[in-house]
Amino acid sequence: MEKITNFFKTFLLYELVKGMALTGRYFFARKITVQYPEEKTPQSFRFRGLHAQRRYANGEERCIGCKLCEAVCPALAIKIEVAEREDGTRRTTQYDIDLYKCIFCGFCEESCPVDAIVETRMFEYHGEKPGDLYYTKPMLLAMGDKHEEQIAKDRAADAKYR
Amino acid sequence: MINIEIDGKLVEIGRGSTVMDAAHKAGIHIPHFCYHKKLSIAASCRMCLVEVEKAPKPLPACATPAADGMKVHTHSELAVKAQQGVMEFLLINHPLDCPVCDQGGECQLQDVAMGYGAPASRYSEEKRIVMHKDIGALISTREMSRCIQCTRCVRFGQEIAGMMELGMAFRGEHAEIMSFVDSSVDSELSGNMIDLCPVGALTSKPFRYTARSWELSRRKSVSPHDGLGSNLAVQVKNHKVMRVLPIENEAVNECWISDKDRFSYEGLNSAERLTKPMLKQDGKWVEVEWQVALEYVAKGLHQIACGAGADQVAALATPHSTLEELYLLQKLMRGLGSGNVDFRLRQSDFSMDGKQAGAPWLGMPVADINTRDRLLIVGSFLRKDHPLLAQRVRQAVKHGAQANIVHATDDDLLMPVANKAIVAPGELVNVLAQILKALAAEKQGSAQGVENVTVGSEAAAIAKSLASGERAAVLLGNFAQQHPQAAQLAVLAERIAALCGAKFGFLGEAANSVGGYLAGAVPFGGAVQGMNAAQMVASPRKAYLLLNVEPELDMHDPQQAMAAMYAADMVVALSAYKHHATDYADVLLPIAPFTETSGTFVNTEGRVQSFKGAVKPLGEARPAWKVLRVLGNLLDASGFDYDSSEAVRDEALGMQEVGGKLNNHLDVALQNTAATKAQGLQRVADVPIYSTDGLVRRAASLQKTHDAVIPCVTMHGSELQKLGVQSGDTVKVTQGRAAVRLAVQADDIMPAGTARVAAGHPATAELGAMFGTITVERA
Repeated sequence: MEKITNFFKTFLLYELVKGMALTGRYFFARKITVQYPEEKTPQSFRFRGLHAQRRYANGEERCIGCKLCEAVCPALAIKIEVAEREDGTRRTTQYDIDLYKCIFCGFCEESCPVDAIVETRMFEYHGEKPGDLYYTKPMLLAMGDKHEEQIAKDRAADAKYR
Repeated sequence: MINIEIDGKLVEIGRGSTVMDAAHKAGIHIPHFCYHKKLSIAASCRMCLVEVEKAPKPLPACATPAADGMKVHTHSELAVKAQQGVMEFLLINHPLDCPVCDQGGECQLQDVAMGYGAPASRYSEEKRIVMHKDIGALISTREMSRCIQCTRCVRFGQEIAGMMELGMAFRGEHAEIMSFVDSSVDSELSGNMIDLCPVGALTSKPFRYTARSWELSRRKSVSPHDGLGSNLAVQVKNHKVMRVLPIENEAVNECWISDKDRFSYEGLNSAERLTKPMLKQDGKWVEVEWQVALEYVAKGLHQIACGAGADQVAALATPHSTLEELYLLQKLMRGLGSGNVDFRLRQSDFSMDGKQAGAPWLGMPVADINTRDRLLIVGSFLRKDHPLLAQRVRQAVKHGAQANIVHATDDDLLMPVANKAIVAPGELVNVLAQILKALAAEKQGSAQGVENVTVGSEAAAIAKSLASGERAAVLLGNFAQQHPQAAQLAVLAERIAALCGAKFGFLGEAANSVGGYLAGAVPFGGAVQGMNAAQMVASPRKAYLLLNVEPELDMHDPQQAMAAMYAADMVVALSAYKHHATDYADVLLPIAPFTETSGTFVNTEGRVQSFKGAVKPLGEARPAWKVLRVLGNLLDASGFDYDSSEAVRDEALGMQEVGGKLNNHLDVALQNTAATKAQGLQRVADVPIYSTDGLVRRAASLQKTHDAVIPCVTMHGSELQKLGVQSGDTVKVTQGRAAVRLAVQADDIMPAGTARVAAGHPATAELGAMFGTITVERA
């Protein structure tokens, strides 16, 4: 019985018709291609993009230089130097993230006891010459200042799962 | 012996032991904070609660005596519940600021909370805050709120350091650890409180916020300071020494180190470090290559040795040098044909040279000090010169030993002293003769040579004390060894020791006081004889080789030493620091301090302790043994082809056991033992604890402590009245050619007719010898 069905399918071009039907279905269906950069895909509030350092509302930097992120970083991308500031608090004098090394695992963000180092939704960045993607403390703080509103909103959205 | 069962394991332990001891023996860990094996038991933290069968409530393991047949459970439901409860209580007032705490990562509270605590706290009310107090330059108490009141620091002060400088004030929630009002913690062992603190309440001030514990690599080393040779863990980050901690060695330093050992590392990174070889050309210092500097030195030494004679070349080395450095230095000098080499810079009496049966040493293992029942300590600023040996004497006294002191000052040793004879330096020999005579009478021994002395009451009391003991020791301190009659003191002390069956020994002044003799860095004994340290500066030589010596601070007579340096044609200073040598030297060769070189120290009990470099040398500095090796090769001396410092050490020590080379016997005849009535004030010179060597002199935090203040002239109150001055006034102190102005202080610990003027400090560096007549006038 099967032999007979196959025999008819071969000269009636059944596979071709079936294939064309699929093509036709997609031809008339709604398109899902995202026209980047005009269009963008939606992002999770847990998106792990470019790093930023945050400040408190009074302008004080959050980072206390505990070096947990440096210790946890699996790619050894973070370098921190710490000293006592004039007011006696523990502060970083150097906080560098080498984005060439970074694997965006988010461990630094996870380990931070004061939510100072965070990964933002920002993923569109580039470097033109060697060293461009070596982010220093002022660059990270500037990122934080620029995106603070979004960062705070994302932390708030994630808070209930922690 | 009794049997006790812990977690099903049977342990046999001595009567009187605690459950904690038994658990240690069985290898079972019981969490604890206030318990420390070297301190008394407080049982205040309650962390070590365990379940004991048939006891209605959990019991603290540290304070519960083990009883025969006792069954203990450390992980039963009751014990775990008790431990969790205690942990929750301890954390109620603990700030949980681990991310900014220097103790974070090496904190007992953190570890125990992780291991034994509940996952969350139920406490949400306000936590208490303890305001910080300034207790000195070494210990930071900025975060006293972290304190859990274990009182380890308090007990350390009372029991080990001998002075209670911290205490607990107030009660309950208001209880806090504090020092006496407006006073700092000045103990020379205070740094150990930082190690003892199980939380981050007492932390190291110099180390504050500079590194986290997990970033540091730990390298073994040996202390280059006093004669004890404490075992150190040098902690390093990015080729920089960040801090120094003790390594436990029960036979040497137990689990303690002195502040000098702990904080001197700051001097390693001092701005004064010499990092490039320098040559003086036309009166100006220029940095040169090693090759140029070494060739210049070799040529200069060769010219002087050939032209003016080899005995015109002299070498002085600090006793803080390693065995390898001292050995190569003497080999180099003897290769040149000169025997002028010495490391005993502060010694003034060399009449025992060549008459010693071996290298002078402690005469017994360091640990045996604890078991002595009678001690006679002659001429020693014990607490400041040997902080940890003093601690051992303190333990011996606590266990019933009688300490007898013969000295020129009555410094507080922070322990009960049975008898003491405090006399002017010139009378020390006489006092020992008196003791010998009295002891000979007690023991029916020979009083030959001392028959004519009149025994005073103090000497009689000391003799009586010594005669009644079974395990006595007679020890000569730094002051006695630097004394102009050092040989006579040693002969008398040896005879006293022989009469009462005591151990007789010398307390080693510096890290290599014994090693220097073993290395042959002395003018006698070797193939070529020469001059000793005092002769070398008394009759100036044409060329000097200085191995880490600062003559104005390290020599017995700085005036004479400096005159000799200025008069010399050539002075080669091998030094880790740029110091006053820039005034008189012609070449400065940067050498590496102890953390940057491999080497060996032989401590005062003859223990050979080798160590490796912890970091690479700063700048172009090189280990001194390598510099001396190259100099030897350039001077065509034979036998300078060493591959390693170990090869040098093996050659220096030979294949013989070191023990066989140690002998305190002196073949010196006893001379006149009458007290010398000296004219005028006699100088009593101590070397302040933080002025002993180049490294501590540049350790910034130690220099801010109470022990490092500018020395003042200390005299008996009656001497001040004679002068018509009061404590605090400035006086003019004259000795030899120079005079300095210093503050004066009345203190009745000084015998009349003496003035204590410290040596080894820049403020007194212009003065003359450490002993002798000194003039004090109104300024």
